Amino acid sequence: MDIGGEYLVPASREIVWEMLNDPEVLAQCIPGCEELEATAEDEFTAKVVLKIGPVKAKFSGVVTLSDKVHPESYRLSGEGKGGIAGFAKGGANIRLEESGSDTKLTYEVDVQVGGKIAQLGSRLIASTSKKLASKFFITFCEVAQTRVSA
Amino acid sequence: MYETKYHKAGSLDNATSLMGSADDGKYLGGGMTLIPTMKQRLAAPSDLVDLGGIADLQGISTDGSTLTIGAGVTHAEVAGSSDVQGAIPALAALASHIGDPHVRNCGTLGGSIANNDPAADYPAAVLALGATIKTNSREITAGDFFNGMFETSLSDDEIIVSVSFPIPEKAGYAKFPNPASRYAMAGVFAASTSDGPRVAVTGAGQDGVYREDAMEAALSADWSPAAASGVDVSADDLMSDIHGTSDYRANLVKVMAGRAVEAAG
Ligand SMILES: Cc1cc2nc3c(=O)[nH]c(=O)nc-3n(C[C@H](O)[C@H](O)[C@H](O)COP(=O)(O)OP(=O)(O)OC[C@H]3O[C@@H](n4cnc5c(N)ncnc54)[C@H](O)[C@@H]3O)c2cc1C
Repeated sequence: MDIGGEYLVPASREIVWEMLNDPEVLAQCIPGCEELEATAEDEFTAKVVLKIGPVKAKFSGVVTLSDKVHPESYRLSGEGKGGIAGFAKGGANIRLEESGSDTKLTYEVDVQVGGKIAQLGSRLIASTSKKLASKFFITFCEVAQTRVSA
Repeated sequence: MYETKYHKAGSLDNATSLMGSADDGKYLGGGMTLIPTMKQRLAAPSDLVDLGGIADLQGISTDGSTLTIGAGVTHAEVAGSSDVQGAIPALAALASHIGDPHVRNCGTLGGSIANNDPAADYPAAVLALGATIKTNSREITAGDFFNGMFETSLSDDEIIVSVSFPIPEKAGYAKFPNPASRYAMAGVFAASTSDGPRVAVTGAGQDGVYREDAMEAALSADWSPAAASGVDVSADDLMSDIHGTSDYRANLVKVMAGRAVEAAG
C-alpha cells in the first residue's frame, strides 16, 4: 500500500535537508520514538512504541538513510520487530523543492506489516500509516518553524 | 508469558489510586476490545483495573430534556431500557445492533467511546446529539472529545462516568454492517435538534467519526431522506480497506443518511 502527500515546510531547502539528516530531529518526529542511536553513518537503532487504540507494541529496529541526493531527495527507511506482535517495515521517499523562501516536501510512503498486528489491523493499516506519516511531517514542520525563528 | 495483576475497584477514587500505583495499567470495562487484544499479545498492561464494580458508572436516568447513561451500562441494557426507548428510540435501536449478544451483554458505553474505534456505532450518536461526557474530573463536549481514530481527549488515568444526551425532537440511525463483525462500514446518525439538524458519520472517515456539514445544511432546508441522500459526498477523506474502497463508502454514506432520516420520521 502506498501513501503520499506534500507539505510546505517554513524553512529553506538547505535547512530542511539538514534537519532530515539530524538524528535529534528524526527522533522528535518519528511518532512514539523512545530511542534513536547512531550505529554507523546514516544508520541508527531505534525503539518505537506504537499505540493505536487498545494496541501497544514496542518495536526495536533499524532506521537508515539512503539514496541521498543533496539537497533534493533521499529515502528514510525503517524495519522493526515487535516481538509476538509482528513486524513492520517501510520507508518514505522524500523530495525537496524550493518554493520561495519555503520548501515543498513531497513524500511517498510504502509500508509492509506482518504477524498478529497485521491480522488485527487489516482494516486499519492504511489509515494508521497515513496518520503516522502525517504526525511525522506535522511535527517536522513545527520543528522547522522553531528552528527558523530561533 | 507475561503477568497481569487484576484489581476490582470499588469506587472512582479507588480506581484512580490503583491506576496511579500501577506500572503500565489499563482500565477494564466490558473487556470486549481490551481482552482480545491482550490475548493476541498486542497489549500487555501490568495491571487491569476493573471498573465493573463502581456504582457511579451504572444507571440510566432522564429529566425530560436530557438522557443520562452510566459509562458502565452495557449495550443490551441500553437497548432494553424503557427510558432510552421513550426518550431517544434511535439510541436504543443503535445499541441493539452492536456486534452479537455476547458483545452486547458485556460491552459498555464508556468502553466504546473511550476506545473510539473508527467503525464503532456510539461515537456517531454521541457526536450527532451533541452529548456531554462526564469524567471523574471534568465535563467534555462531544465535539472536543473525539480526536481522530482511536484517540480521545481523555488522559491516561481519566475515567468516563456517564454520558448525557440532550433529547432531540427526532433522530434515526442506519448502518451498513460488516457482515462478520457488525462494525459499521458506514453508519449515519441524523438528529433534528433545537440547534437544527445534526448528522454524524462513523465507519467511513479516515479519521474516525465526523459531522457531515453539507447534509446538515440540506436537511435544514428540507428534512427528508431524499435531501440527505442527494448530498455529494467526497471520497477523499474516507477509508479504503479490504472491505470496501473509499468511493464505495462515499455512496454508502449517502444511502445510510437517507435511511437514517427515514427512520427518524
Ligand atoms: C466481535 C465483536 C463485534 C463488535 N461489534 C461492534 C459493533 O458492531 N459496533 C460497535 O460499536 N462496537 C462493536 N464492538 C465493540 C464493543 O461494542 C465494545 O463496546 C467495545 O469492545 C469496548 O467496550 P468495552 O466495555 O468492552 O471496553 P473494554 O474492552 O474493557 O475497554 C476498551 C478501552 O476503553 C477503556 N475504558 C473502558 N471503560 C472505560 C471508562 N469508563 N473510562 C475510561 N476508559 C475506559 C479501556 O481502558 C480500554 O482502553 C464489537 C466487539 C467485538 C468483540
